[in-house]
Amino acid sequence: MTSAEPESLAQRLEALVGTPVGPAGPSVGPDPVNQPMIRHWAAAFEDANPAYTDPAWAEASSFGEIVAPPLMLQTWILPTPVITGIAQRGGSPVELEGSGPLGVLDDAGFVGTLASNSEFEIERYLHLGEVVSATTVIESISPEKRTRIGPGHFVSWVTTWRDEANEVVGRQMFRILKFKPELAEP
Amino acid sequence: MTLSIHDVAEGDALTPMVIVATATVIVAGALATRDFMPVHHDKAYAESQGAPDIFMNILSSNAYCSRFLTDWAGPEALVRRVAIRLGVPVFPNSTVTFTGTVTAVEVATATVEVTLQASTDMGDHLTGTAVLRLPHEAASS
Repeated sequence: MTSAEPESLAQRLEALVGTPVGPAGPSVGPDPVNQPMIRHWAAAFEDANPAYTDPAWAEASSFGEIVAPPLMLQTWILPTPVITGIAQRGGSPVELEGSGPLGVLDDAGFVGTLASNSEFEIERYLHLGEVVSATTVIESISPEKRTRIGPGHFVSWVTTWRDEANEVVGRQMFRILKFKPELAEP
Repeated sequence: MTLSIHDVAEGDALTPMVIVATATVIVAGALATRDFMPVHHDKAYAESQGAPDIFMNILSSNAYCSRFLTDWAGPEALVRRVAIRLGVPVFPNSTVTFTGTVTAVEVATATVEVTLQASTDMGDHLTGTAVLRLPHEAASS
């Protein structure tokens, strides 16, 4: 260490922009895109689109074969959860190494998390048997803002999904507010 | 039957979609999206986090957006973009009503822009915009 001034919170947040959220390498789905998970998804949301579950319809359609629901992208790359201890881990499906980049905000008292925005862009639909991977990078962190639930920083990250040829199949910008919860009314 | 780009015009209303979000609906959606966060299935855990009950996960909210769009436009409509701002949570036994309006139609690229919102009796669960690509000709299937 040099004798330089300790980094300010603003400098530490600035340094996080462009860094990965989660593992440094891409997350790869535990299973390829598959019909059982698609059928389970379509049943849960009562989505009767035959492109997802009816092979004969799909073959005769402009898709030519079964396609996965486009916004299922996130589901393909979630890790297989370790159920034991999930509540103690705050809902994280697996044990995380360290506190992650957002630990800087937690340590500064911005312990609350509120999801704010999701923006999906779909380049193409996925087919059965494809394996997707994803990388997530912090895109921006706002200066401190006053919000109705307390002061906070908006943190945006972008997840990019790629196919086995490394072509981008979709992206999601996700924004959360990391905030300091205001004291409850007495 | 999928709408062709010639079937839609600015100002058209999307067909409304109503979801009665029982606890079963919320838990089924969380697990089908492989989201095992206890706030989406365990009421006691949700209460320990300051929430009055379990609530719908965001992957489910997005899933319903895509269903709402293709229920209206038809199965061969391609979802290109879904951009939402999140509002009030969906707790068990809320009724969530999705509505939307066509805001732009570009025939050359066969793209349609819409606004959408999902409202509950507590306020908007989400508001946003979406882009779809429709066939140039009406599909035969």
